[in-house]
Amino acid sequence: MDAGKRIGNFVKDNLVLVTIMILVLVTAVLEPKFLTIANMGNLMNQFGPLSFVALGMTLAIIGGFIDLSVAGIVSLSAVFTLSMIDVLGQFGALLAGLLAGALLGLINAGVVVSCGALTQAKALFITYGLSAVFSASALLYTDGATQHMSHLENRTDLFQAIGSGRMGFVPVSFLLFVVIMALLHLFLIRTQTGREICLGGANITAAQLAGIPVKRRIALVFTLSGVLSAFGAIVLFSRITTASPLLGANYETNAILAVVVGGTSLSGGRGSVIRTMLGVMLVILLSNCLNLLGVSTYLQSVLKGAVLIIAIWIDRRRVK
Amino acid sequence: MSVVRKVVREIEKRKALTAILLMLFIMVFFDTRFYTAYNLLDMLNSAAILEMLAFGVTLVIICGGCDFSIGAMMSLSGIITIKLMDHMPLGFAICAAIACGALAGFVNGFFVVKQKTEPFIITLGMGMLLKGIAQQITDAHPVPAKNLTFMKIANGKVLFGIPNLIIIMVVMLLVFYYILRYTSFGRNCYAVGGDYNVATQSGIRAERIKWSAFVICGAMAAFCGVLLSSRLNTGSSIYGDSTALSVNCGCVVGGTSFAGGVGGVPQSFIGLLAIQLLENCMNMLGISAYVQQVCEGIIILLILWFDNYAQKRKEEAV
Amino acid sequence: MGRELSDRILSVEHVSKSFPGVKALDDVSLEVGRGVVHGIVGENGAGKSTLMKILSGVYTKDSGTVEFDGQRVERTTPMESLRRGLSIIYQEFSLISSMTVGENIFLGRFREAGGMKGTHQKAGELLGQIGSSISTHKLVSELSTSEKQMVEIAKALSFESKLIIMDEPSSSLTEEELAKLGALIRQMREKGISILYISHKLDEIFEYCDVVTIMRDGHVIDTRPVSELDRGEMVGMMVGRTIENEYPERPRAVGEPLMRVEHLTTGKLKDISFTLNRGEILGFVGLVGAGRTEIVRAIYGADKVKRKEVRIEGKSLKITSPRDGKRCGMALVPEDRKQQGLVLPFSVESNISMANLEKVKRGIFLSPDKERKMAEENIDSLLIKTPSPTAAIVNLSGGNQQKCIIARWLETEPKIFIMDEPTRGIDVGAKYEIYMLMKKAVEAGSSIILISSELPEVLHMSNRVLTIADGRITGEFDPEKVSAQEIMNRAIG
Repeated sequence: MDAGKRIGNFVKDNLVLVTIMILVLVTAVLEPKFLTIANMGNLMNQFGPLSFVALGMTLAIIGGFIDLSVAGIVSLSAVFTLSMIDVLGQFGALLAGLLAGALLGLINAGVVVSCGALTQAKALFITYGLSAVFSASALLYTDGATQHMSHLENRTDLFQAIGSGRMGFVPVSFLLFVVIMALLHLFLIRTQTGREICLGGANITAAQLAGIPVKRRIALVFTLSGVLSAFGAIVLFSRITTASPLLGANYETNAILAVVVGGTSLSGGRGSVIRTMLGVMLVILLSNCLNLLGVSTYLQSVLKGAVLIIAIWIDRRRVK
Repeated sequence: MSVVRKVVREIEKRKALTAILLMLFIMVFFDTRFYTAYNLLDMLNSAAILEMLAFGVTLVIICGGCDFSIGAMMSLSGIITIKLMDHMPLGFAICAAIACGALAGFVNGFFVVKQKTEPFIITLGMGMLLKGIAQQITDAHPVPAKNLTFMKIANGKVLFGIPNLIIIMVVMLLVFYYILRYTSFGRNCYAVGGDYNVATQSGIRAERIKWSAFVICGAMAAFCGVLLSSRLNTGSSIYGDSTALSVNCGCVVGGTSFAGGVGGVPQSFIGLLAIQLLENCMNMLGISAYVQQVCEGIIILLILWFDNYAQKRKEEAV
Repeated sequence: MGRELSDRILSVEHVSKSFPGVKALDDVSLEVGRGVVHGIVGENGAGKSTLMKILSGVYTKDSGTVEFDGQRVERTTPMESLRRGLSIIYQEFSLISSMTVGENIFLGRFREAGGMKGTHQKAGELLGQIGSSISTHKLVSELSTSEKQMVEIAKALSFESKLIIMDEPSSSLTEEELAKLGALIRQMREKGISILYISHKLDEIFEYCDVVTIMRDGHVIDTRPVSELDRGEMVGMMVGRTIENEYPERPRAVGEPLMRVEHLTTGKLKDISFTLNRGEILGFVGLVGAGRTEIVRAIYGADKVKRKEVRIEGKSLKITSPRDGKRCGMALVPEDRKQQGLVLPFSVESNISMANLEKVKRGIFLSPDKERKMAEENIDSLLIKTPSPTAAIVNLSGGNQQKCIIARWLETEPKIFIMDEPTRGIDVGAKYEIYMLMKKAVEAGSSIILISSELPEVLHMSNRVLTIADGRITGEFDPEKVSAQEIMNRAIG
């Protein structure tokens, strides 16, 4: 085999890694300070809220669905959790926030399963509609006002630690991300339930006929996605110390972007949370790079849209 | 069949119309301002642009697709028109904006028809991209239009004091109705959405039909964008954020199913009218904007739920 | 010579067609005369529908020639065939149910027909010609089966067809509707239109057809005027003699009753009751669409039912999902291997382990070692040909894929093994191996319900056979005592 072909194949199989390497190189040339330890910490910090939402989205996509309600869940659980700090104390609020995420995810699953929208295409509409309901509920809940952590009476150091604390140069949120990712990876690869989710995502009919309780697995997938979105929301408002009811806007598309760019197939069943980490990394490096090049944030979102469309295209071609 | 059952069936078939009548009836008891010619005409006038968006979307849904990029397309085309107006005749600027819409529709169609991508996801991505372009062009600030003629397009009253928008909408309604009902292209749309394989086997160029539907829908969204920016005399990247969902679902309320092959422009007209009327009623009753949004969301969800549930029942018929 | 040409509307010579693993048509030759009603009979899988799809242009033939109306036809499309004058009326109609009758007749020819008005007017005339009074404005979804057939026939006539192929036109027609169809066929013959009448139902062949061709296993067995044949002869040719060593010796392990199914009723099935004994292979014989698959799916809990009572070993069980079915000791090898059986993107080992994940756990985690071991054991014992247990299952041949599904279920040690078309699309060698697996399974104490469209297979493997027609059990036979003809007769209904 000639070398050219071999390199070509390597690039094709590891498109994400190659792109990440190129981006690192470009950035390093543009900004010599890029490869310093201090900057590594900054980079990890940027994993932030999106990475958690993307983990939930990965689960949903591997399970054969796309959860578009995450935008609504992020908004609603952010304003809800923040408002609960004064009522339940910070630990209680954290728990309540995660529970709220789980509940919203369960509502998703309930609606999807009860009307038999068990294909990806059908469930898309449902979760999108639910996103609208959740977002509107967030507005209703706060009457459209933005809430501020500094106005609270109770202590908020737990949230401060989650949002912007560091252990050494490593941000706490990044550590949490790595731990959750590792657990999810273990869950998907090495547990029966995780395997059943993957099988159901790839062929729901075959999985059902093999005796797998697919509806319960769907409920689990959406619930986990909801919890992770809520956690993303908590990281987000802790970091910016305010929670607006519009906080979650565009989170669904960005999360899908990270998952698909990472190489998890939209056709379900195949993929991994580790790929999603690479996807998030790629998105972060891309915006870093574009920032350094002085590209406006708006043009960046255009480029992100274009990258998403291209990634979907590549995914389709691979399936075919 | 008993009379009662017949009535029930008829209501089931014409959900949107029934809802409209019900709302009109309820409003009799509440607010006298509701039944003024001014309010009703104003409502129709403000519904006109959404209605026209729905005509294009109806075409796509009948072909078995959907288009969630229309909101962003609408805001972008308004901005393009206003930006170009200063450099070229108004007519050209409008045509250019509409061409952009057609182009976006063309790309949507390419992915749906040629790459077999889920129309929902690709049009959503396209919407995000178009919105980004709109923000980039305007730096996310509203852009005012300085041309008086432009403003008059949507705000004037040329015929018998009827607002232009309503006239344009009625003309468009008739045009789309004619296309879908009496042209080969229109009928083939129904065939393609009804059963893609049978349509292909009957010698219908299904790919081309579906693709064209997306192009027309994109162009129509751009046209609506021109009208909207003319009406408000500004272009802004924030217009149309929630439009896509309510328009697509409005069509379904009227009886155009996401399963494809059924429905029509009059149905979508009624469906969107029902949604607009609901908004108007809630306004009149002094319900807060946020409660309205929640209600609208829940209603849309119910519609989607029933659309799916009906399909499930059909498939499972014991 | 010229006269002879004009006498033939269609001639097929030496046409063959293969699909991966199966030869669907093998050197088939056939001639259809002008104005002749020509019957084709054969069992499921005899190659009738493949032939039909080649004629219409859905499939392309591998070799041989087709001549239609004096012209050589090489590659064609369904639309071209229609325009040339060859219409096909499929069993599952090619109509768009959300559109009106008139528009369906002129589908894709809106302009030719002269718009909406012309469409309905011309469609009305065509329907009038065949004595039908269906309103052209009605939606196809509101029509009965026989009305839909009328629409299809009107559509065929609208193309001025010279040859109309009808695939199982009589299925789900009432007596009265059938008589109407018969009259219509005669009417068309008088106009000089040829008809290729494909059916299982021999009575109709004798009533309507002038000539009949008998097909089996992708071959044409014989073509003869109907008057020269009697029913027995025809069934004999359809069933054929089989080579004995295609099948292993019939297993004999039948014991006491194991499962009793009573009053199984759904929209399609009417009060099905039967018993399955331990160690028995119970064959279900019936035509495609008779309700065989529906029975087993309902028992297994995959479909909703109106009424059902299942007792296994005397215990009354409530089975409402496949999970329940599995828990009660059932296993289902589904009809459609790719859509319902396999998870194609996954490996051989995870396809085997997917119904047995509890067995490959160590603590709360799945053990890759145990999973590998389970796969390897099955690969060895079932002789599955795969490069490795981690190979993607999509790359295996049909027979080996099927063995993986059987392996998946053997690991659950099922009491009742339901096999729906277990050998469809599989080559002869692999078939024999699957028969051996069935034999081993019953000898180990399982019971098998076997559904197959290949009559010889059911007759050779089963201890007992139930015939099923139109959602009812129509007979029970001992395949060793009763001839294939008799069973076929009963299954045809």
